[in-house]
Amino acid sequence: MTQRARVLVGFAVTLVILGFLPGLQETMQFPRFYVIFLFTVFFWVAQASSWNILTGFSGYFSFGQGAWYGIGVYTVAVLVGKRGLPFMAALPLAGLAAGAAGLGLGLVVFRLRRLSGEIFALTTLAVAFVLASVARLTTAIDGGTGIFMTGTPLPEFLGDFTTAMYRLTLVIALATVLVAFLIHDSRLGWGLFSIRDDEPVAGGLGVPVFREKMIALGTNAFFAGLIGGVWSLQLGFVTIDDVFNIRVPLFVILMSVLGGMGHWMGPVVGAVIITTLSDRLNSAGLADVNQIIIGSLLVVLALAVREGVYVRMRDRWVTTAGTFIGVLALVVVLDVNDSLISDFAFAMVATVVVMLVSERVWDLVRGRGRSKGPPPPEVPSADLAETSA
Amino acid sequence: MELLAQGIASGVLIGGLYALMALGLSLSWGALKIINLAHFSFILLSAYLVYQLTVSYEVDPLLTTIIVVPLFFVVGALMQVLFHLANVDEFKSLIVSFGIFIILQSLMRTIWSADFRRIGSDLNPYETESIFIGNIALPLPQLVAFGAAVLIAAAMSLLLSRSYFGKAVRAVAQDADMARAFGIDSRRVAVILSGLTTAFSALAGVFIAVGQTLFPGLAVSWFGIVFSVVILGGLGHTVGALTAGVTVGVAAGASAVIWGPLAAPLVTFVILIAALLFRPEGLITSRSVA
Amino acid sequence: MRSHRRWSYLAIVTVLALIVAACAGDEGGDTTAPPGTDGPTDTSEPSTETTEPSTETTEPSGEPIRIGGTLALTGFLAATGVIHQAVGEVFVERLNEQGGLLGRPVEWVLLDDESAPDQSAAAYERLITENEVDLVIGPYGTGNITAAMAVAERYGYVFPHHTASLTYAYNYACHFSSWSTGLHPNLTNPNLVYDALESSGTPPETIGFVVNEFPGTMFISYGQDGTDEGGAVAEAVKRGWDVVLDITFPTATTDWAPIAAQIRDADPDFLYIAGLGVDAPNIITAMQAIDYLPAGMFSQWPAPGPLLNTEGADGMMSVTIFEEHPPFTDDPEVVEVAGLINEALAAAGIPYTKVETQAAASWTAWEYLQQAAEGAGSLDQQAMCDWLLENGADTLFHGDIQFFADEQNYYVDLSKVKQIQDGDWWVVYPEEFAAPGRSVIYSP
Repeated sequence: MTQRARVLVGFAVTLVILGFLPGLQETMQFPRFYVIFLFTVFFWVAQASSWNILTGFSGYFSFGQGAWYGIGVYTVAVLVGKRGLPFMAALPLAGLAAGAAGLGLGLVVFRLRRLSGEIFALTTLAVAFVLASVARLTTAIDGGTGIFMTGTPLPEFLGDFTTAMYRLTLVIALATVLVAFLIHDSRLGWGLFSIRDDEPVAGGLGVPVFREKMIALGTNAFFAGLIGGVWSLQLGFVTIDDVFNIRVPLFVILMSVLGGMGHWMGPVVGAVIITTLSDRLNSAGLADVNQIIIGSLLVVLALAVREGVYVRMRDRWVTTAGTFIGVLALVVVLDVNDSLISDFAFAMVATVVVMLVSERVWDLVRGRGRSKGPPPPEVPSADLAETSA
Repeated sequence: MELLAQGIASGVLIGGLYALMALGLSLSWGALKIINLAHFSFILLSAYLVYQLTVSYEVDPLLTTIIVVPLFFVVGALMQVLFHLANVDEFKSLIVSFGIFIILQSLMRTIWSADFRRIGSDLNPYETESIFIGNIALPLPQLVAFGAAVLIAAAMSLLLSRSYFGKAVRAVAQDADMARAFGIDSRRVAVILSGLTTAFSALAGVFIAVGQTLFPGLAVSWFGIVFSVVILGGLGHTVGALTAGVTVGVAAGASAVIWGPLAAPLVTFVILIAALLFRPEGLITSRSVA
Repeated sequence: MRSHRRWSYLAIVTVLALIVAACAGDEGGDTTAPPGTDGPTDTSEPSTETTEPSTETTEPSGEPIRIGGTLALTGFLAATGVIHQAVGEVFVERLNEQGGLLGRPVEWVLLDDESAPDQSAAAYERLITENEVDLVIGPYGTGNITAAMAVAERYGYVFPHHTASLTYAYNYACHFSSWSTGLHPNLTNPNLVYDALESSGTPPETIGFVVNEFPGTMFISYGQDGTDEGGAVAEAVKRGWDVVLDITFPTATTDWAPIAAQIRDADPDFLYIAGLGVDAPNIITAMQAIDYLPAGMFSQWPAPGPLLNTEGADGMMSVTIFEEHPPFTDDPEVVEVAGLINEALAAAGIPYTKVETQAAASWTAWEYLQQAAEGAGSLDQQAMCDWLLENGADTLFHGDIQFFADEQNYYVDLSKVKQIQDGDWWVVYPEEFAAPGRSVIYSP
């Protein structure tokens, strides 16, 4: 089986396994909260992955995730909450609306030759604020009163509310990551990476720079809008301040940088780590300390881990898998925590620690020094040749 | 008509404050290639310190400048040292500074609680004082902030263009390695510059403590406006930051008065986007600092 | 290499510290029985809190009753969230000192929802399905309350909550609001204020509205979207007053000068600030800076403390259900509990320590839960719900409350008008609730 086929099978298997989870929950009677926790993870996986398709692959740093997310949330909220359209009809429109907005922005912005990275970044931030303002001013959209999404009827086949949220987010998250993978391993992905490395040269080599950037931006916006549409249900009461704030744009950056921006699995790993840690710290009831710990963790990990956690994990996958499974088994058997999620968090943290340590040991053994500058960029062709995790 | 004039006047003044807040971020981004989100929490922390000193020792809030500004100079310098040790690039600086931002926000919330803090009227003689030009009022805190912003922008501009230090900064901004090759201690330059910019942020905090009510969420609410001013003014351009601040302030003030306060953010950001896209090239994309 | 190694070690240390922290903080060995008919089948009367002195000294025993909830402890709602945290802690401590609930000790499992509705919803799911709490109590903030209520409804939990402003939206059969503004605060609140103004003998002729774009204040000012009901503005027009100003401002406004300029330009006899938090002090300060102050002002839901220390705020009016002065403090138990709350707020570092709307509503919500459990004699959600609907609650700060099922479980509007006089808040209208010697001071 080819490399690509193997990964695709992996996706299918993941879908099946994860798909059965809600049903499993009912039979095995483990806390329903695990299902909610997982769909929260899926939400962030979709957000971070979609963001990374643009920023990680093409190098165009976007602060605009909040804009696409917001369009998605509000499209559904207005069509379903205000106008009573069926949810499943409105959902694809959420993705399309956001995607269209992204393409619209791209049309204007990518045409400018000298647009440097920082300027693009802040343009995207500005777009988010403009959208928030427009939503505030237009009574047809929000006008400040907020929109109620509680009690929205969902189609029978999705199951009850929690199961429905789970299934919707699972499918969208998998789709987003799948698309990220397909792009990463394609000519388009190679083009995007070359744009990231040196756009004028890429153009000179014949890469259709404008078109590829548009595709990346449009894809980013589409999936962000789609998952946003689903999330309107979880918000329950959609208001401008709850939707257009810095939480989404900043967290996707954190997750992707932590996991690694050059690879399609990076944001997934980053999303899982941050969501789990944040959840567990919150459940430990340490509100203040929670924030301080997350802040410190971010600082330290960002400094200590240069190209993202995922690459490390993949390069030392035996150690990673071994540590994770080992610690997880240990913690579960010893019944140290009463939540499987806490067990998972422990195993995750232990793995990260071991990874860092083993890197040091490995370097010492190899006698490798470390250069002062940033690491060389991930070259896709090297990825294709290696076995992927 | 008078209403519009008042709106514009207020806008000009608050633009000065915006400029002061943006100066730190602009210089550190333009010259040091560091997007320092922690600036926002420094501004707020400085404001809280001013509040605390004023309330605990019953001193004139503006006097606290003597303590607060040098303190934050040191903080900024230390932060730059941290960044050097860690060898951060632009992206990483965003993450690290965000982490520091979160930590500081938590600290502020723990110390001062999430509740609103305001220097009472008994200790704050400035908040309702104004100078009048005809019927147009120029509130004192904003006026002083504006004056400070003008002075500092002018001083920094001169510093950067005339002094040896300024030349060193510009050299480092253009090409740090080359600058080092020519004997400039880029680290020391960066540390001093970082100290200066943080000191400016602290000064902005003083004016905020005098003119507004404080609560932890305030820092987040500044993101949008300050980033706008930074971009509009050009990374690393001090006079640009001042002009941009005033532009944003006036645009917001005028539109608030004409179309209502809801329109203000919309107008501000539309101007921002338009300026980004249609302004003459070279002003922003040039890597130099002035 | 060296700097990198340093950071790696630091990372390891941090991560290890994290493990320790998570380990220390995690709930250990949870074997609480699922919610059900625990405790004796007690058919005693509802809590006689207002008359019985607190001399109960029986030690509560048995499995703790766990009450779950979230609050905005961080994020932009945190300023008020911490008040609810402090009050809740006082309530639980006092309840345990008095023998607990149904003879068992009570434990409050409180999580931070970071002022985000989606996090609130997820947290309630966790509390109910993972922590398996016996009871729940609502969060703070309309959005969070809405999202959490949906979860409570899904699992059939009685849902007492405090200050949700969009009354019309809540039709869960077992939700119980402790903020007694009735179902139509957009009509009853403004009319109360306008009646108070008229009682001064010199009502305004012109009125100006400055409205925060927050959903609750929009509702009060303009009524429910899509209905003809209207709100404060429409009711003023009905009185024959001239609306000379009607502007809306974003919640995160930082520049108040243009708003102040517009108010000065319109020069209303009375300024209705449909705002919350520190909107009022900001607006007053901005107006003073341009040398203007309207003859009278009202602020919908201000943070009470900052206004007292704002120059020019004298005469400002607002609404409240409880204030710490006679006749509200005629009951000694009220005084005792208020004292406990004052201490708790001070200990939490909150500058304004008096009990007012938020703290009172918080305490009342807890009383609903306690009385429902005691009245039904069990922790069965349906039994508790039915009991409350049938009997209402007898509360310390709000008095007798009934839940009208045909009014979506709301009662009547118990609001009163308070005013800043001589540097402090006093209830001034209606007369029977006014502080001794105090009445509305207003003349345009």
